[in-house]
Amino acid sequence: MEEVFARAWRKTGTRLMLLHLLLLPAGPTNGERFDPPGKPSLISCRSPEKETFTCWWEPGSSGGLPTTYSLFYRKENSDEVYECPDYHTAGENSCFFDKNHTSIWVNYNITVVARNAQGSASSDPVDIDVMYIVQPHHPENVTVSLVQGENPYLQVKWEPPHMVDTRSGWITLSYELLVKREKDDKWQEHFAGQQKQYQLFSLHPGVTYMVKVRCKPDHGYWSEWSSTTYVDVLDYIPRERSMWMLLAVFLAFVFLILTWVLTLKKNSVKHWLLPPVPGPKIKGFDSRLLKMGKSEEIFNALISPGFQVPLDSEDLLVDYLEVSDSPWPESGHTPLLDRKDQGKDPVGDDCAGDVPAVVAEKCGGEEPEAQGCRQNEDPHARVGLLPGNGNCQPCVQDPPYHVSEEFPKGLPPVAWENDKPPSCSGSTPARGNSDLSNEYVSEKWQGSFPVTKPDQYVEVQKVNQENTLILKPKAEEETEDLLQLALREQDYSKVSKLVNDRILLLETRPADPSSRCGTGSSPAGPPAKPALHQLQNGYVETFNLQPSH
Amino acid sequence: MNKAQGSVWLLLWFGRGMLGYPLECRAAADAGRRCASIPLDKLLERVVQHAELIYRLSEESCTLFEEMFIPLTMRAQQIRGGNTCSTRTFAIPGSKSEVQQISDKWLLHTVLILIQSWIEPLFSLQATLDRYDNAPEVLLNKTKWMSSKLVSLEQGVTVLIRKMLGEGTVTTESHQSWTVAAWESADMMESITRDYALLSCFKKDAHKVETFLKLLRCRKTGSLSCLPI
Repeated sequence: MEEVFARAWRKTGTRLMLLHLLLLPAGPTNGERFDPPGKPSLISCRSPEKETFTCWWEPGSSGGLPTTYSLFYRKENSDEVYECPDYHTAGENSCFFDKNHTSIWVNYNITVVARNAQGSASSDPVDIDVMYIVQPHHPENVTVSLVQGENPYLQVKWEPPHMVDTRSGWITLSYELLVKREKDDKWQEHFAGQQKQYQLFSLHPGVTYMVKVRCKPDHGYWSEWSSTTYVDVLDYIPRERSMWMLLAVFLAFVFLILTWVLTLKKNSVKHWLLPPVPGPKIKGFDSRLLKMGKSEEIFNALISPGFQVPLDSEDLLVDYLEVSDSPWPESGHTPLLDRKDQGKDPVGDDCAGDVPAVVAEKCGGEEPEAQGCRQNEDPHARVGLLPGNGNCQPCVQDPPYHVSEEFPKGLPPVAWENDKPPSCSGSTPARGNSDLSNEYVSEKWQGSFPVTKPDQYVEVQKVNQENTLILKPKAEEETEDLLQLALREQDYSKVSKLVNDRILLLETRPADPSSRCGTGSSPAGPPAKPALHQLQNGYVETFNLQPSH
Repeated sequence: MNKAQGSVWLLLWFGRGMLGYPLECRAAADAGRRCASIPLDKLLERVVQHAELIYRLSEESCTLFEEMFIPLTMRAQQIRGGNTCSTRTFAIPGSKSEVQQISDKWLLHTVLILIQSWIEPLFSLQATLDRYDNAPEVLLNKTKWMSSKLVSLEQGVTVLIRKMLGEGTVTTESHQSWTVAAWESADMMESITRDYALLSCFKKDAHKVETFLKLLRCRKTGSLSCLPI
C-alpha cells in the first residue's frame, strides 16, 4: 500500500519536472518567431553644400533577429548598383555620400534593404537629384552691436556656414533675420538678401533685443536658425525728459497767466465768492466822524448841507438891536440898542434921524429910513428913543429904526462899552445925516466890533454907570442849538407894532410890563424900562433895566 | 505643318542673325554713330538674372504640368526611367571640383550649347500643349515666356563670348530627340509622358546654365554674393 503510494508520487513528480523542463525553455522560444525584417523607409536626404549628401532611413520592425541595413543606389544612365560608401559618418541609420561619390545633375535611385536571418525587406526606391536637396547649415558668428549716435541702430553681422562655398559662386545664399524685443510675443522678419550684414533702426530704449539668422540657397531649403543673440539697448532718448520739461514750462506759463488774470479781477472774484452784505447808510451821515468822536461836526454835517435858510421868511431872520453911544441930549441915558429889523415899518418922520442905524453897511438904500442905515457910524441909533429933532422922544415906542431889508453880512454885533453918556441927540436927524459924530462912535464901533454870524443876537449884560447897555453877542456861546433857542423864546416878547417910529409896542405878557411909555421926555425914562432885544424870530426880550443913576 | 516648321526655323535663324549683337555697336557698320556698350559685370549680371528667371519658370511649369496631367502613382516612375534626359555628345561635369577645373571658355561654350539645344523643343512643346484640351492658360503662358527668355539669354551669352573670348558666334544643332517630328503620332499618354520628361530635363539643364553662369560671374567680377563678408 505504501509502496503503491510512493510509486505514484514519484511518477507525478517526474512528470511535473519534465513538464516544467519542457515548459521553461519553451517560454521564450514559443513566443518568438523569427521573421524577416519589416520594411524600412527612407526619410530624407540632404546636402549641406551641394557637394556631399546624406540619406537617413527609418528601420521597420526587426523581426526578432539582428537586422542589417544596407543602402543601394543606381545612377542615372547606368544600371550598375552601388552600395553606400559610408554608414557611420552621419550616425545611425544613415548613409553619407562624400564628394567623390556625389554627382550633381544626376539622378540617384536609392533603396534601403533590411536583412536578417529570416529574410530581407527593401524600401521603396527614391529618386534624388542633389541640386534639389540642398539645405545648408545655419549662419555662423552672428554678432549684434549697438551703434551710438543721434539715431542709434543695431548692426547685425554674420558669416555663411563654413562648408558652403559662396566665394566661387557655387552656391548663392540668401539670408533672413528674426528680431524681437525680450517681452514681445511675435518675431519680426527681415529679409537681408545676399548681404551678410543688416541694420535695425527705430529701437526702443532700455530694452533687450533678440536676433537670429538663417540662410537659404537659391534653390533649396531654409537652414535652421542660428542661436539667439541678445543685446541690450541703452536708454538713449533724452527726448522724454525734454518733453516733460516742455510740458512743465507750458503749465507754469498757463498758471502765471491765470494768476495775473485773477489778480486783476480780484474784486469781482471776491464779489462772486463772498457777496457783500449791504449795510445801512444815512445820507449826509459820515460814520467816520462818529468814530472820531466829533459829534458836533456830524450834526453840523447833517444840518448844513440840507438845511436851507429860508431867506424869504422874515420871521426867521436875525433881528437885533444895535446899541451905540448916543450924543443926543434928550435921550439921556437911554440905552442904545442896535436893532435891525426886517420889517418895513415906516420910520420916516422928523425924528427918525437917529435911527439905530447901526447896522451895517447895508442898510438898504431905498427906504427913507435907510439913511440911518447908511451910516454904520451913526451913533444915534436908539431904540426906544426917538430922538428926532425935537419931537423925538426918548421912548422906545417908536424908535426910528432903520430897516434893513436884507441881512447884512458880517453884521457887527453890538456889544461895546461906551463911556460916553448916551444922549438923545435930536440934532441928529436920521435922514441923511451921515456925519453926525460919526467918527466918534464909529471908530469905536469899528474898532470893537467882533464879526459874528448874521443870525446872532445880543444879550444885554448890564447897564453901566453912564446908562449904557452893555451887550454881548449871543454867539459867544459855542453850542447854540435849536433847543436853546426854543428855550429862549419863553423870555421874549413879541413886538406888536411900532408907534410913531419911536415906540415899540410889545405884546402883553403877564410879567412883562407894557412898554408903553408915553413921555419920552426924560431921558432916564421909566425906571424899569425894558430893554428890547429883538431876536430873530420876532421876539423881543424884555428885561429890567436898573438904572444906575 | 512642315512648312510652318520650316518657316519658323527660317525666322529663327534670321532673327538669331539679326539679333545676335543686341548690346554692342557694330564698329564696321556704324563708323559715324557713337553708342555705348555695356560693361562686363553688368552684362554678366543680366545674364545670370535671365538664367535664374528661366529656371524658376521651368520649375513652375513642371509643377503645373505634374499636377495637371500626371497621376501620383506615375510621378516617381518617370524619373526612374529618366535616362532620356541627356544624351549628349560631350560630357558635362557633375561635381564642383570638376566644374572648377573647367576654363571660362569651356563654360561659356557649354552654356551656349545647352541653351541652343532647347530652343526648338520648347517651341514644339508649346504646340503640343495647345493640343491638349484642358491645358491651363497659366502653363501655356509660362512656356511661352520661357521660350522668349531663352532666346534673349542666348543672345546675351553670344555677346559675352565675344567680349570675353573674342570669338564669333557658334551655333549648334538642336537636340534631336526632342524634335516634334518624331512624336507627332504618339497617343495621349505617351505624349503626356514625353512632355513631362521634356519639362523635367529642361529644368535640369536650366539649373546647369544658371550654375555655370554664376560661377563665371564670381570668377570675373566681385559680386556681392561672392564676397566673403
